[in-house]
Amino acid sequence: MKLLTHNMLTSHVKGVSKGYPLLIKATQVKVNEVDFNPKFVSRMIPKLEWGALVQAAEGLGHRQDLPGELVSDYEQNEDFLKKVHRILLEVEVMEGCLQCPESGREFPISKGIPNMLLNEDEV
Amino acid sequence: MDSSMENNVKTVRRSKEEKKVLRKQLKASHTLLKHEGISTAAQPTKSLVVANGGLGNGVSREGLSAALKEMGEVEGLVMPPHKPYAFVTYRSEESARNAHVHLNGQMIQCGDNSVTLYLSYVESVTHEEQTSVLLPEGLVLVEDFVSPEEEAVLLSAIDWSSTNDDITAQKALKHRRVKHYGFEFRYDNNNVDKDKPLPAGLPEECLPVLERCVSSEHISMMPDQLTVNQYESGQGIPPHVDTHSAFEDTILSLSLGAKTVMDFRHPDGRVVAVVLPGRSLLVMKGESRYLWTHGPDLGTQSSLTLSRRGTRTSFTFRKIRHEPCRCAFPSACDSRGAPSTPSPALPPSPPTLPCCRADAARLEEEYVHRVYDAIASHFSSTRHSPWPRVCHFLASLPPGSVLADVGCGNGKYLGVNPDVIAVGCDRSGALIQICAERGFHAFVSDALSVPLRTASCDACISIAVIHHFSTQERRLAAVRELVRLLKPGGRALIYVWAFEQEYNKQKSKYLKESNKEHQGNHSPTSEDSQEPHGKSSIHISSHLEDSCRPDDSMTDVSRVTDGKLSVHTNRTAFNTQDLLVPWHLKEGKKRDDEESGDSSKKGKSKEKNKKTSHNSCSASSLNPKTDPSPGSGSRLDTSDAAHIPDCKPSPSGNTTQTSSSTVKSELESSPAPVFHRYYHVFQQGELEQLCAQVNGVKVQSSYHDQGNWCVILQKDGL
Repeated sequence: MKLLTHNMLTSHVKGVSKGYPLLIKATQVKVNEVDFNPKFVSRMIPKLEWGALVQAAEGLGHRQDLPGELVSDYEQNEDFLKKVHRILLEVEVMEGCLQCPESGREFPISKGIPNMLLNEDEV
Repeated sequence: MDSSMENNVKTVRRSKEEKKVLRKQLKASHTLLKHEGISTAAQPTKSLVVANGGLGNGVSREGLSAALKEMGEVEGLVMPPHKPYAFVTYRSEESARNAHVHLNGQMIQCGDNSVTLYLSYVESVTHEEQTSVLLPEGLVLVEDFVSPEEEAVLLSAIDWSSTNDDITAQKALKHRRVKHYGFEFRYDNNNVDKDKPLPAGLPEECLPVLERCVSSEHISMMPDQLTVNQYESGQGIPPHVDTHSAFEDTILSLSLGAKTVMDFRHPDGRVVAVVLPGRSLLVMKGESRYLWTHGPDLGTQSSLTLSRRGTRTSFTFRKIRHEPCRCAFPSACDSRGAPSTPSPALPPSPPTLPCCRADAARLEEEYVHRVYDAIASHFSSTRHSPWPRVCHFLASLPPGSVLADVGCGNGKYLGVNPDVIAVGCDRSGALIQICAERGFHAFVSDALSVPLRTASCDACISIAVIHHFSTQERRLAAVRELVRLLKPGGRALIYVWAFEQEYNKQKSKYLKESNKEHQGNHSPTSEDSQEPHGKSSIHISSHLEDSCRPDDSMTDVSRVTDGKLSVHTNRTAFNTQDLLVPWHLKEGKKRDDEESGDSSKKGKSKEKNKKTSHNSCSASSLNPKTDPSPGSGSRLDTSDAAHIPDCKPSPSGNTTQTSSSTVKSELESSPAPVFHRYYHVFQQGELEQLCAQVNGVKVQSSYHDQGNWCVILQKDGL
């Protein structure tokens, strides 16, 4: 699971109102090499929840020096875009789980894939 | 070809034999390059690819290794499972050159097998190839886990002089002796009585072994249940998956006494035979524990050099599970409604249309989810051409749009528009695995409850998904969920299979009779109507002549007389809206990725098939005893699927068997599995009507596309 996916995922346990963002409990993290496309990255940024991204990166120990708030004029800042690219698309949680911040329910991540299926009684 | 010309110039006289070798070598290399993405190097290196020297050719590691070691110091030998090649890396380039000179074009004997090896230099052997695992995912075999002394102690620790419980157990199970510790295992429901722990606990003699398991990190929690089975040779129990809800993930099985073979079977038909020597520990985790069945191989034991008479005692240590199972394999999970004993791929008594939510969920579990998990790789190999009008919709999305593909399958559409932020979800873990392998963002979830925030997507697509829901309510709920995800002004594209396969006097591709294929294979490969599948055709019934014209009597069509769902005959017109559609599973045969241009050229696909079949002939010799079966169904499989019928140049007269069954007959006599998927096919206007019931959204356009009804919805508010 890459952090881009994590940024979009939310807990959908019945009755939960504050299910975003999910807490990441990672037991295995991988860093891949993905082609850097600055245009794509800069288009992604406005679609993200920046705070959640920084929090997730921090939790994985991969924050490096990602700023707590978005810099202005980031479109031209290749350095910054590269950092975002790395944290969004290259860092991958292979094993672990995602935890609903409100209910505590855990969703397993196995071989890089989060399993968000709920049981009959949780829907 | 240039290099061969060069060689001809350099070596004045090259015998006919040598030329033949070189030609074959080039052809093998060329094919590998094409199908596997392996590039051969023009200049000598330390590494070589050994075509025909793979596990898929029946070549053993010992045999190949012996031959290679004679040429120089071998640094590494990689033999990816099921493949018709291997990689060897020598310490020095000189050794590699030596191997190339002496082994290229040479025959090697491996048991009953002899193959001709063709060597080519490669730049390097990737890490992925080196870490490929022979065994089912999650399975680890540790030999010599206990010493002979420890083995004796453990065997003597079991007191077979029975208690009352054991008498009952032994009476019921005529095939072996069994004793339980910690918790009683119940054979009537294949589960454990969690409320009745047995007073004695686990024998203390087991403690050192268990501690070794924990310290070696094979298991993280101490097991609290032990089942000891004692089998004479020829005795055993049928293949099974250990009940999910009864036990936690890792299961340890210590084999004492005689060696045995344990067969692991994947729902898609793959079989891996694992030899379990005495004193070995088998660790089952993940897929091997939750999805593959396991059971002793009683049939082919005699052909292995096993002690003919021997008692095997297994100590199976497990940890009782107290919470419901939440594994990634719901199709085999009794916590999610799957039966706890594996059912064969024979259809049970025909299902009926569900009348309540629980029934609907159960029907879909049996006739949609289990099936997709089982057929995932084969299914994926038939889904490689994105439909043009869907692509058109995707291309129309502004760059940077957030796109959700609900029911994304193998990720076919996730990469179509690279400027879009695409995330996919599907109910099938196996299909999502394929998405992950392709580098897409995807997760497992149900279309009725998608874990994405409300109004977070600029666009959604749901292609060939909603027709799998078995009640109108659920279909409506699926549309509502799509709409929920959309931002104001966002658009959704929905495709569902149409009842009316013929529209505007144009028969859909699904109905059109395919030309007779050279395989004469009568199994349907794809009823995906836009999928020009230059492969096998079905015997078309006379139904085709009756074109399906919408008329008044259609309104009664949806009700089947006794409520039982009928099985549809592929490639014929539909005569009912709720039905089961057969899928005949084929062993994995890769289709080339994303054929460019018009993939409907049957001639082109025939040519590809011919090439494939040529190579499969060379990979057809197998050692079924020690090697896993070919054609694992992995989508990376190419010609090594060893489709015997494909080697025949003319249509096989065999109309009832699929190629997978022919292959299997070498190993076991089970027929090719047929799976049934549930569909509710939509009548004209039905999808629109469904969408009209959802608030806050308007139907922007509605059309028929090759046997599907399609709508584009737009959410209000912009």
